[in-house]
Amino acid sequence: MDFSWAYLFQGFATALTVQNLLWALVGCLVGTLVGVLPGIGPVSGIAILLPLTTVLPPTSAIIMMAAIYYGAMYGGSTTAIVVNIPGEASSVCTAMDGYEMAKQGKAGPALAISAISSFVAGTIGVIALTLFAPMLANFAVAFGPPEYFALMFMGLSLVISLSGRALLKGVISMAIGLGAALIGQDPLTGSARLTFGFPKLLGGVDFISVIVGLFAISEVMINVEQRIHVISEVEIGKLMPSRADLRKCLGTMARCTGVGFLLGLLPGCAPSVTTFVAYDLEKRVSKNPEEFGKGAIQGVAAAEGANNATSQAGFVPLFSFGLPTAPSMAVLLGGLMMYGLQPGPMLFKTNPDFVWAVIASMYIGNMMLLILNLPLVGMWAKIVKIPFYILGPLIIFCSVVGTYSIRFQAYDVWVMLIFGAVGYFMRKMGFPVAPMVLASVLAQMLETAMGQSLLISQGSPLIFFTRPISAVFMGLAIASIGWGIWVQVRSKALMAAAEDDEY
Amino acid sequence: MVGWFVTLLGLFVILSSTMIKGGAAHRLPPQTFPMVVGFLLLICGIGLTFKAWRLRGEDLALNWPDRQGFWTIVVSLVSLGCYIALMDALGLPLASFLYVAFSTWYLKRSKWLTAIIIGLITGLASYYLFIRLLALSFPEGALFGG
Repeated sequence: MDFSWAYLFQGFATALTVQNLLWALVGCLVGTLVGVLPGIGPVSGIAILLPLTTVLPPTSAIIMMAAIYYGAMYGGSTTAIVVNIPGEASSVCTAMDGYEMAKQGKAGPALAISAISSFVAGTIGVIALTLFAPMLANFAVAFGPPEYFALMFMGLSLVISLSGRALLKGVISMAIGLGAALIGQDPLTGSARLTFGFPKLLGGVDFISVIVGLFAISEVMINVEQRIHVISEVEIGKLMPSRADLRKCLGTMARCTGVGFLLGLLPGCAPSVTTFVAYDLEKRVSKNPEEFGKGAIQGVAAAEGANNATSQAGFVPLFSFGLPTAPSMAVLLGGLMMYGLQPGPMLFKTNPDFVWAVIASMYIGNMMLLILNLPLVGMWAKIVKIPFYILGPLIIFCSVVGTYSIRFQAYDVWVMLIFGAVGYFMRKMGFPVAPMVLASVLAQMLETAMGQSLLISQGSPLIFFTRPISAVFMGLAIASIGWGIWVQVRSKALMAAAEDDEY
Repeated sequence: MVGWFVTLLGLFVILSSTMIKGGAAHRLPPQTFPMVVGFLLLICGIGLTFKAWRLRGEDLALNWPDRQGFWTIVVSLVSLGCYIALMDALGLPLASFLYVAFSTWYLKRSKWLTAIIIGLITGLASYYLFIRLLALSFPEGALFGG
């Protein structure tokens, strides 16, 4: 299927219904809130809300989930600028210059340029998504089980090798994620696996419990331990940046959108990675690189633009191949599967109404977010001031409600608690969390694709290397593993063993 | 220490995988993936142990909590455990009220009135939003006639 205006207009017609507009608005509001609040990010935000959206039709639910995701990307900058606490890992670069600007009494222009840059990058990102996703889906139609297995294997390998220099920890994280997903009954034979004699475990471990535990609970534990009290004395002041500031940022926005989008197509290149790349690039091309880190408005524009472009780019492999490139995309993939939708090339053929409505809603969502973020920036900044002794228990309450509503069993909440503790120790010891999330969501698809491939080849694993597309993916996977091992062996510094990058 | 733990976990998973029954006739028996996971953990655990041995003596700067931070985490986890354990018996609204009020008070002792108010709002919101409005099957508890 090629891009067609008719499908896009049909998507707009669906996205512009009152119901879908309302859910997009709710998603944008919740997403901005999720981004603004430290201790809860888009991954846990979507995971908590996913089971609660079963009362909605699939299109509305996914429109809302997607809006939460890119809304959180907008919102993450507010805390970074106003109180120097990045709501997300991807807002660290924003904090470097944004908070310096706030200290100089320019919080308003910093927040405004962050919203404008997010809007520009987000909109260009959606346009690219509109054009690229169907094109790639056409290519992916030729994929069979071996190609899918090789693609997912490559995705996991890239995520592990890009998750820091701690390769061993990345593989352990992935193995624990795979192991958790394998608990329960084997889908093909019905055999009990890794249940250790506990009948409750036959029901398996739901990925939402794993993700909410790893992200929300462990984050709250870290904040509780540090006795965080968010107090902000920064005044917002004048909102709009000057014309000179806007002129300075135009080129920045274009460059960071390109960098963010192109890198965002790759598995493992989460916004936390691409924002640093874009920020570094901007510093290199700037005539005044010494201003970066001291309140350069281009620094804020670069980080926020790249952040949003990457967020949009993640939807391209998700819709075209069914491949999540980051934890938040993995949760969205889980959400699509919950509704019986199989992301991948056939999604464009079998559910064009759905997929084009979601894409169209992103144009609308970006506009909504600009409107929400410019005039309401003062309100969002006030929310930052909610003290953690109130916020922490409320985040836990939301996590419990979200996890309990998966199957309405306390068992899932216990699993969440266990993975909360696991996530806490993983963060403390520098284990990347992303490979675990991706593995827990992809495990079943990986196993199914491998089983089907071996059935086709009558048991020969060579099938992954004899078909051209899968051979390319397997080659890239092996190369990325080899690169990871090379970096690991070369890096003798102690830091490599304790490196922490959870993106 | 972590390396040893991961190695033992790997051995445990391998052992558990050998006990999985059935599926021998399939191209991909149900034991295969768990076995792969076990071996990955085993190999990486040995790798981490070796790495720790190679770097022995050097002080890894892990940022563990101080004594107060440690107890705050323990109390937070235990209270969350009690919340989950009591939810079916007391119902979501009452259990949520107790948990949120206690946790808020525990994190800021001087704000006991705020804690009660936030707890009450949470309990009532959980009842009216999730049980009444969205009609989700949360336990109501005796207080709300469940």
